[in-house]
Amino acid sequence: MKHVGTILGSAIAGIFVMSVWGAFSGAYGIAGGWFAGLIIIGSMWYLNHYLGIHNNDGAFVDMALGIGVAGFTRDMFTNGIQVGLDSLPTLAVVLVGGACGGIAAALIQKSMKRSVSK
Amino acid sequence: MWMVSTFAGGFIFAFMLRLLFGKYVEEWGSIGGWMAAGMIVGTAWTLTHGVGFIYQTGGAWVDQAFAGFAGLFLASAAVDGGCVKKGCINIIMALIGGILGGFILYTLTLH
Repeated sequence: MKHVGTILGSAIAGIFVMSVWGAFSGAYGIAGGWFAGLIIIGSMWYLNHYLGIHNNDGAFVDMALGIGVAGFTRDMFTNGIQVGLDSLPTLAVVLVGGACGGIAAALIQKSMKRSVSK
Repeated sequence: MWMVSTFAGGFIFAFMLRLLFGKYVEEWGSIGGWMAAGMIVGTAWTLTHGVGFIYQTGGAWVDQAFAGFAGLFLASAAVDGGCVKKGCINIIMALIGGILGGFILYTLTLH
């Protein structure tokens, strides 16, 4: 059942992010987009990670993965495989950028802890 | 050249997420989670998608979320020592969930 929680939590988060968020930003511009972040990610985070229906007994898997995949595959279902192939360059750079950012942050955290304990 | 701002957008989002989200929750509990959602994810969105740091090369939407996932997973695996095997199982479940969500969203276009 714990895996069902992950599947449902990711699906629900992806559905909200990839439809409602755009509706907010379409209607209210960049401010709408920010606000959508607050209410959608706020509630989805609470469900998936605070309450914890998204299983995480290993290296941390954020609901963000399901969210990204929902958006990416939605467009492939709608417009065919080619749009996915066309987007691979962006996907690759975004993943690499994110990986570097996460690791840089974690290493900085480690060094901050070390200097506190000196 | 689109790669530079795209890389930067992904980097900045994952960087902020890793450094700040946990701290917000540690400091303010679940309310901190809501604040982080707005302050970190919302604000990063204004940069990556609002202003357009992440350049979309094709028709399949590449969300900043991918950067968030990559950064948090790798930091957890490589720096915190999180179990990669169990993590990969959870990744597979998240992928299934994502595809399910994507499919449901696709059906909207058929209405």
